[in-house]
Amino acid sequence: MNVTTNNKTILLVEDNPDDEALAIRALKRHHIGNEIVVAHDGVEALDYLFGTGMYKGRDINIKPTVILLDLKLPRIDGLEVLRRLREDERTKLLPVVVLTTSNEEQDLLNSYSLGCNSYIRKPVDFIQFSDAIRQLGMYWLLMNEVPPL
Amino acid sequence: MRLTAKLMNQEILARLQNLCRDEAAFEQIKEILAGYEQGYEQEITKANLLVEQQKTLFHVITRLREPLDLETIFQATATEVRQMLKADRVGMFRFYLDSGWDDGEFVSEDVDPAFGSAMAQKIHDHCFGEQFAAHYQQGRIQAVADIYNYGLSDCHIQILSQFQVRANLVVPLLMGQKLWGLLCIHQCSSPRQWNSTEIEFVRQIANHLGVALHHAELLAELQVEIRERMQAQQRVQALNQGLQQAITELKVVNKELEAFSYSVSHDLRAPLRSIDGFSLALLEDCLEQLDTTGQDYLRRIRSATQRMGQLIDDLLTLSRVTRSDMHFTPVNLSVLASRICTNLQRQSERQVEFVIQNNLLAQGDGNLLQVVLENLLSNAWKFTSKRLQARIEFGAIPQEDGTRAYFVRDDGVGFDMAYSDKLFGPFQRLHGMHEFPGNGIGLATVQRIVHRHGGRVWAEGNIEQGATFYFTLVQEALT
Repeated sequence: MNVTTNNKTILLVEDNPDDEALAIRALKRHHIGNEIVVAHDGVEALDYLFGTGMYKGRDINIKPTVILLDLKLPRIDGLEVLRRLREDERTKLLPVVVLTTSNEEQDLLNSYSLGCNSYIRKPVDFIQFSDAIRQLGMYWLLMNEVPPL
Repeated sequence: MRLTAKLMNQEILARLQNLCRDEAAFEQIKEILAGYEQGYEQEITKANLLVEQQKTLFHVITRLREPLDLETIFQATATEVRQMLKADRVGMFRFYLDSGWDDGEFVSEDVDPAFGSAMAQKIHDHCFGEQFAAHYQQGRIQAVADIYNYGLSDCHIQILSQFQVRANLVVPLLMGQKLWGLLCIHQCSSPRQWNSTEIEFVRQIANHLGVALHHAELLAELQVEIRERMQAQQRVQALNQGLQQAITELKVVNKELEAFSYSVSHDLRAPLRSIDGFSLALLEDCLEQLDTTGQDYLRRIRSATQRMGQLIDDLLTLSRVTRSDMHFTPVNLSVLASRICTNLQRQSERQVEFVIQNNLLAQGDGNLLQVVLENLLSNAWKFTSKRLQARIEFGAIPQEDGTRAYFVRDDGVGFDMAYSDKLFGPFQRLHGMHEFPGNGIGLATVQRIVHRHGGRVWAEGNIEQGATFYFTLVQEALT
């Protein structure tokens, strides 16, 4: 069974190609067939969301339903991306799930105080990881009522 | 103004002659009067001398009250005394410390230019210390009218003649009770009979110089004390600076350590996730191409990566225990232990008797002390798991130094005391994984927490005879 895609896009911000491949594979395995846009660092993510740089001219009214955001990223890191999203009227309500290897208390606190919607630590055990991705997809794409953007 | 004894002036004599009218009687009266006059003159001369002496004494005393150094006081006094007594040399002789009063030198002098200076020459008199020092210390005064006619020893005469001394008057200079030196009045030109007024005068001068010496000594002591205090203060300042520096360095190191653990937490786990993830992908996506051996290998790869993930997590926990902030409060260890034991008991139906001493109150960080007890009690639980019936005890015993040692005792498999020092090292294990699971981080964590509380941890045990783990929390570390 394929979940209806209904044009809902997932923005995956991830610099590690392995993690990217595994996350996409996990989403696919759980029949989450939404379009997945991958940004490889903070700059790319912001460009996509605000239609700048390599995404110049993109219709920014088409917004991702959920952003899966890694914290440790080249150029602009995840926390900074989160801060800028929350500062901007156009993106401040976008659901952001922090998906990271870190379970440092400081990262958790910073992420939540900057207004992330959820914080998930990537476990080493891939079955757990895959399960987390599945729940994420289900929750944010199917169950959660997205704020009118 | 000087007094005068002139009774026989012309006016008085004329009046007397008028009264007498007898030349012979007048001559007799004149003689009588002349006799009186001479007596008066002597008395008055003596009185004048006393007045001069008093003046000199007054100068000396006044000078003592001024903030002058000893050298200036000595020099001025020597000059005045020599003038007063019309002596050829007045000198202050000082004994060298620890010479037993055998050696010394003149430190101040006023001398008639016709005679040589006695200053700055080391003078050794091997018989002085033994024979005379004690007497001078008692206040003895020596007045010698002629050194060649006084029964002085040859060596003494030789020393005195070296300075052309013919007559001398020697009065001790005492600093408190101690013989510091001698005040010496020398007559070089001729012998001299020292009269009692002169001796008394010199004695008084010496007394006042003694006061000056005492003041100088007090001042020197004060200066030493001030210098010592200043040095101590400087040492404290240097120490403080060192401490500040150490604190700054420590802060930097701590920051680096934090950055390091952060990077460990992020970067070491990422490749593990890839290994595990793609191994699983292989198992799921390409299962039919793998035989059972291949599948077994992949499972082993996965279990190893997961164990390494656990090890990284444990290391991070250990490092967090080391650098987390401590909040000291009173902690009831008995309550903590009971709670942990209740949780352990819930996990299985095992027959374990817990014996917990009541109301063991400690000062420490509640969270960290909980980690200590959790580790020790769950170890006890684990290493008694092969017993049908077990007993786990938590309590405290007094130490020799009066502090308290807490202990967790079990009657489980125990350990070989030969390896007791290895127990607390990270990743050190005394049992195989198949025997008792574990990663060897628990006791290392316990040790770090106990050390952070200023305490000590140690263990006693024997194979198959149980184990006891002790720890202390030092009171001094609490402030």
